[in-house]
Amino acid sequence: MSETISAEELEMGVASETIARYRLYLRKRPVMLAVLLVLAAIFFAGVTGLSRLYRAQRESLGNRWFNRGVGDLQGGRFDSAVTEFRAALLYSRDNYFYQLNLAEALLGMGHTREASAYLLNLWDREPENGLVNLELARIASRQGRTDEAIRYYHNAVYAVWTLDEERMRLVARLELIELLLRIGATTQAQSELIALAENAGEDPAQQQKIGDLFLRAQDYEHALTAYHVSLRSSPHNAAAMAGAGHAALELGRYPQAQRYLQEAVKENPDDTESAERLKMVQMVVRMDPFRRQISGAERSRAVVTAFELAGQRLKSCPVRPAPGSGPTLIDEWASLKPKVTEMRLRRDADLVESAMDTVFRIERETSIQCGMPTGADQALLLIAKLHEGN
Amino acid sequence: MEERPIHPAAAWLNEHSPGAMWRSAFREDRFFLVLSVFIGVFSGLAVVCFRYAIDWSRIYLLGTGVQLTPARMLLAPTLAGLVIAVLVIHFFPTTRGSGVNQTKAALYIFNGHIPVRTAIGKFITAALAIGSGHSLGPEDPSLQIGASLASVLGRKMRLSRDRMRLIAPVGAAAGLSAAFNAPISAVLFVIEEVIGRWSAGILGSVVLSAISSVVVMRWFLGSEPLFRIPAVELKHPAELIAYVILGVVGGLASVAFAGGISALRPRCKALPLWTQYLQPAIAGLLIGIIAMLGAPQIMGAGYEYIDQAMHGQFTWQFLAILAGLKILATLLSFVSGTPGGMFAPTLFIGAMLGAAVGGAQHAFLPHLAGSAGTYALVGMGVLFAGFLRAPMTSVFMVLEVSGNYSIIVPVIVANTFAYVISRGLQPTPIFDLLTRQDGLELPSMEEQREEGILRVEDAMQPADGTVLDAEKTLEHATQSLDRSNSDHVLVRLSPSGWSSVSKQRLSEMAAEGKGETTLGSLVDEFRVPYLHPDHPLELALRYVDRWPLVPVVSRADFRLLEGVITQRDVLDRYREFGEG
Repeated sequence: MSETISAEELEMGVASETIARYRLYLRKRPVMLAVLLVLAAIFFAGVTGLSRLYRAQRESLGNRWFNRGVGDLQGGRFDSAVTEFRAALLYSRDNYFYQLNLAEALLGMGHTREASAYLLNLWDREPENGLVNLELARIASRQGRTDEAIRYYHNAVYAVWTLDEERMRLVARLELIELLLRIGATTQAQSELIALAENAGEDPAQQQKIGDLFLRAQDYEHALTAYHVSLRSSPHNAAAMAGAGHAALELGRYPQAQRYLQEAVKENPDDTESAERLKMVQMVVRMDPFRRQISGAERSRAVVTAFELAGQRLKSCPVRPAPGSGPTLIDEWASLKPKVTEMRLRRDADLVESAMDTVFRIERETSIQCGMPTGADQALLLIAKLHEGN
Repeated sequence: MEERPIHPAAAWLNEHSPGAMWRSAFREDRFFLVLSVFIGVFSGLAVVCFRYAIDWSRIYLLGTGVQLTPARMLLAPTLAGLVIAVLVIHFFPTTRGSGVNQTKAALYIFNGHIPVRTAIGKFITAALAIGSGHSLGPEDPSLQIGASLASVLGRKMRLSRDRMRLIAPVGAAAGLSAAFNAPISAVLFVIEEVIGRWSAGILGSVVLSAISSVVVMRWFLGSEPLFRIPAVELKHPAELIAYVILGVVGGLASVAFAGGISALRPRCKALPLWTQYLQPAIAGLLIGIIAMLGAPQIMGAGYEYIDQAMHGQFTWQFLAILAGLKILATLLSFVSGTPGGMFAPTLFIGAMLGAAVGGAQHAFLPHLAGSAGTYALVGMGVLFAGFLRAPMTSVFMVLEVSGNYSIIVPVIVANTFAYVISRGLQPTPIFDLLTRQDGLELPSMEEQREEGILRVEDAMQPADGTVLDAEKTLEHATQSLDRSNSDHVLVRLSPSGWSSVSKQRLSEMAAEGKGETTLGSLVDEFRVPYLHPDHPLELALRYVDRWPLVPVVSRADFRLLEGVITQRDVLDRYREFGEG
């Protein structure tokens, strides 16, 4: 057997020795860790590329479903919108706008409880979001949780609105005022209305709306101001005129009320309420013996008429005197009756005062005992209120 | 040639030289810790890819919307089932089932060996199964994928056998942590269910890998939770009554679920081989039919529907039906051998049941009930505790997912009831059940909890005058030897320590004329180790065969003898234990 080693075999031997040496080297832990680091970096880079593809696809799918949902939401197809927004959320689970729109769609479907859960989640994330606060306020209001509703409405008024800021704040405040009026919190409603009026523009329709709300909040002075502003820009606005007339009537400014109500009825003959008020105002103006620019004869006639009316009222509603009090009202009226003539009244201003004082007391007492009067008696009562303290 | 002694300074320099420190850095235990971080990174990346694969499967098989067409509902899981069956039978036979007990088997039986083919097979088949609508979850497969990757890395790194055994749970924790986005729960689950016992040695590596994998996962997928948790609240302590009811209902549901798997799985496995090709497809078809009949929510993992249940979308009646149908669907998918996990279905069933119970109580006892989200969240924990029998994991899982500690009392109350009921009616936990059905016997943390632990105090005997003080002279000591029954005596050394010497040896030393010498100087070389009463009895086995008499001393004062223990004492105690 030949003992010589060929050059080839020698080369192979050297190569395998080299490989074995490298393998030994690779088995050393520092080298292993370095290789692992390189592998991790490569793997990381690969997954990063994959991740970009993945994210791009998901964003595209999410947007596609979201846009479809927005279209259906705007078209009032809430059922489809809910499905589409849910699909969008599959691809972007934490997307604020997807969730917000889903909540809107759910509200449109009347699924208040589920919408509320989403809105509360959103509120936790962004407590200053106007729309979220407004929707939560509406839900709370519908469910009778008025304190919560008021709080959310306040948040909505002062919140961050990304679109249509002024209009949405106005909407929020108006709804808040409606709620306050509904629950009888008139003082709070008045405060809100004053704040609203300060920030409102000259838009006649808006001012008229504010005037109506002031009327309901029984703040007639501010109501009248709002109606004035409205009528400045829109002088033929029948509703504003009717409102102004009503406010003036409540403030006891009967001549002014008469003017407004006359115009209102002229602009809108079907407005029976204003027509009734006008009749009353005209009666007040006609029957008021203390009105300005009235002649002596007219005054005397007015007093006599009033006195007669009061007597009839007293007959239909006898006033029970308080125990131990002096003469009854009917005795008083009876004792004054012979004196209350036109002649005497023309000569004696004190008699006018006494007669009307009796008339006013009769109307007041009978309204307490027998309820609010109507017609001429009501007019006399209003005249009494007008001249209280004079 | 005589070796010259090394100067201490030189020895210190040798030990702390750059070369020595470099070598020390790569000692296997430290290397293992560093490797754990890499395992976490690789597992995290793999789980991210797995999630992408599931999502893409879903998009292409079931469509992009939430409303599925009837054709897709029927065809997708059926056809996918056929493909999966072929893949599992011919290419990836180790991928059947959830993967949790397979990982545990790798740890205890196969020295941590999990082939890389398992990871690849699990990845493909589970992604296909879940994406096509089978009622299974991605967490358990992620656990197995992570364990498999770890095993591969460990083999390539040529770890020792001991370390290789531990590598699978490290990867398992990484995989589960990334899949669940809950590292604490993942670590606890792996300890409870995979390792099966508390082991401080492995804890560091498991935690490192879990954290590094979840960091990687969050880098790519964000840190948003699997489902959005609404405001969780406990309005009034009386609500706890409601959670008790939830715990009872959850416990019974867990028993039904586990009982179904226990009964059906072996029957399905025992069917002829040709049926194995059809079982996943039939399961898929049945699931498709159920979905078509009005419950598409049961398809897939179902996280988006958990989200909706938490936000009060469904009526309580429908939620109860969904819970029942999901149990049925998961049974079908799982017992047919389709690869996939039970975590997600468990959470789904728990959430639906919880929300159903909450909804029912809201209807009948409105002053007692909290929000749907709270009940759903507690329900998830209840099923975790009752079905998976991981009570610790369930509490932490709920806390981690909700981030709200006010929920902890209802969770513990409800879980306790569910666990006790489940334990009473179904003594064997589900993963142990599956393992035994596969013909394996693996340790169970639950069973270990039930077993009593024997301690030294259970076997030790009182010291009957066999104790002498070192300061005494030999002569004095031999006088008191007669009082002792034992052949050996203990000597309390000064300042500390114990020694044991036979009476015969003492007599010999006395005969040598050492009577005036103190005992301490005579017996110091015969020192014995000591034990404490609370030590596990198995620790005593290390000493009692070498030393005839071992002292048992107080932990507060090592010179205070509590008792003594011999080999006979130990063996007698073990015998009694075995007979008991």
